[in-house]
Amino acid sequence: MILSKKETSILIEIIFSILFLIIFLPFFYANQKTSFTIGDLSKKIIEIIIFTVAYFSITYTFLEVYFKNNIVEDERNDMINSKSYKLGYLLYELSLFVFIGLLINSSIDFNGGVIFFILLLTLVVSLIKSIYQFYLHRTI
Amino acid sequence: MELKNNLKEVRQQKGLTQEELATNVGVSRQTIISIERYRYKPSLELAMKIAIKLDINTEKLFYFE
Repeated sequence: MILSKKETSILIEIIFSILFLIIFLPFFYANQKTSFTIGDLSKKIIEIIIFTVAYFSITYTFLEVYFKNNIVEDERNDMINSKSYKLGYLLYELSLFVFIGLLINSSIDFNGGVIFFILLLTLVVSLIKSIYQFYLHRTI
Repeated sequence: MELKNNLKEVRQQKGLTQEELATNVGVSRQTIISIERYRYKPSLELAMKIAIKLDINTEKLFYFE
């Protein structure tokens, strides 16, 4: 299967989301009942920021070095992006309603549980959006 | 009625590769491949650019079937 630069970058995005899920979610999952102090939380947030910056630096350096030509953004790309971002937006809206519903029902504990749920929803939605985008690139 | 095209045949007659045509009209090679396979329907602007590049009337290049 030969992949274009665009498809490769989407695949890398998907891998990043999965890596992020594997690295950070177990911590918040295990600490759902924990009430974090500001110090603990900022330490974790700094860790996440460092991971994200390192990821973007490595990924885009790799893409620039590996592919000599730039990605050509054209009307087909715009159409695929608009379709996938529309799906992402709808899913974010839906997950917001689910989140509010769970908060009202008090089904999730504050602090650790809330952070876990927000991270999980964000990553799952972003993962679905990227997979859909990849699927459209392969089929349209 | 479905929008179809003779893009592949005309492009090959003119001796152009997908990459060359794509570069000439400012799109990616994947877009040309998609149009040739009837997967993607180009905008009027892109259809006309392709027709001009291939020196053929737009209605001869794209047709309904």
